[in-house]
Amino acid sequence: MRTKLFTSFAISVLGLLVGLCLARPPATRANGDKHEEKGGHAHVPAPLEYADVHVPLSVWTDPAMITRGKEIYTVRCAVCHGDQGDGKGPAGVALPLKPPDFRDKDGVAEMRDNYWFWRVSEGGQIEPFKGKGSAMPPWKSELSVEDRWAVMAYQHTYSGHNGPHVPWEHPESIAMGRDIFAMACVPCHGVAGKGDGSVGPMLAPRRAPQPRDLTSAEFKFRSTAPGQLPTTADLFRTLTEGVRANGGPMTIGLRGHRIMPSFQHMPVEQRLELLEYVKSLNRGFWERSAVKTITVPEPPTLTPERLTRGQQLYADAECLACHGERGRGDGPSAPTLKDNRNLPIAATDLTRPERFKNGARPEDVYRTLGTGLGGTPMPSYADSLEPDQIWDLAYYVLSLSRGGQTAATGSR
Amino acid sequence: MTKAMSVIVTLAVVGVLSAAHSVADEGPILGAVKAVDASGKTLTLQTTAQGKTRDVTIILKPESKIVKFARPSEPGKTGFIEQPLALSDLKPGWIVSVTTTHVGGNEVAEVITVVMER
Repeated sequence: MRTKLFTSFAISVLGLLVGLCLARPPATRANGDKHEEKGGHAHVPAPLEYADVHVPLSVWTDPAMITRGKEIYTVRCAVCHGDQGDGKGPAGVALPLKPPDFRDKDGVAEMRDNYWFWRVSEGGQIEPFKGKGSAMPPWKSELSVEDRWAVMAYQHTYSGHNGPHVPWEHPESIAMGRDIFAMACVPCHGVAGKGDGSVGPMLAPRRAPQPRDLTSAEFKFRSTAPGQLPTTADLFRTLTEGVRANGGPMTIGLRGHRIMPSFQHMPVEQRLELLEYVKSLNRGFWERSAVKTITVPEPPTLTPERLTRGQQLYADAECLACHGERGRGDGPSAPTLKDNRNLPIAATDLTRPERFKNGARPEDVYRTLGTGLGGTPMPSYADSLEPDQIWDLAYYVLSLSRGGQTAATGSR
Repeated sequence: MTKAMSVIVTLAVVGVLSAAHSVADEGPILGAVKAVDASGKTLTLQTTAQGKTRDVTIILKPESKIVKFARPSEPGKTGFIEQPLALSDLKPGWIVSVTTTHVGGNEVAEVITVVMER
């Protein structure tokens, strides 16, 4: 019995050795450990600075753009990517990390447009591609944004797909984010992201705030102008920090009394994957032409004069109508406030900055005053106050908290 | 019995390690040309692999080929043509891919392919 066992073990080991010798190892020193079957190409999420660069829908099928892309591709790309888009250009076959095959429908479908644009722009000069030995040159200094879009549109034609390269045409590009959403977000935001999850109504019964309808254009926490969709960085901040608010009994267990939990412990890549799925629920993210954000200037020095001016602005801008003279959220209009779902909404108690939903750092308060909170009665002051006045008001708001020290410490 | 088993396990470990080593050294070397010594017949590349940047000196033998690819100048012709280059044609900063063999601990070039001139 033991002899048989030993013989089988010895045969297995020898088989393994022979297999290792015969198996042709991947011809590379650089490939990553994932996606070997696709030549080491891992479609990681694009970083935040590229996450909002979505290619306009019309570009993908515009014959003029495709022709322009072909001209550029033939001169600059084909030597590696091949005239047939198969990644077998004469210089490409000599590379440790082989260029991708654009005829591979599945591989192209998984590749999101912002990832694609990021790769064309930065090439192999950035991680994780640099460490994998990518030879892809960065084209951002040589090709305009439109030229890069044109090249992508031409490369896209090799896949045989005729429509725009967007998540609703290629659900596989957001599959990971969809899975994370199903596990982490559906109880509150609902299966379709409409804010109608089963747990939602228990968070704040019959009053605001309710879970966001992610399919609507109304987002509270933005760095963009009122009525505009947020940036991916805005969504990332909300996801990371959560939303602090007075909630119902369901929120008591959430650290820091948040009505939306903080997902800061979720790996960054997973948070970015999740946000790509969240954005796919609203086509507006692909239809907006440019993303303009309000600039938060460097915080000025806090002085008594600034606080005095801020106090005056607090009265002049009618903040006290909702937030009350002492900022306790007990102004004369407070009981009548409703949100865009016609639910009663409380004016924020400004003496408790730890519950400021959009953050309590001076720059957070500045941003909130500049953008307002979409879907709530809180307006934007970007058009009515100068930046320096917004700082005055922000510092005054922070001075209303106990001890008035938050302006200096300002932690969120 | 136990002794024979240990020998086989040792062999297996050695086999796996050497297989892993050969995997690590099989592919071409990609890098930016850092220095060219035409008289000494060596080429120094700056390479990045597994997140680490290092300089690799490659020795050229008489049979080593240096090539780049260009579009044919004749009208109507498509594809690429291979153009032979001399070592002195390579310029610092160019990206090249080099297939090599190990000879006495040195990397000896078989084919040097110019990927990008810049």
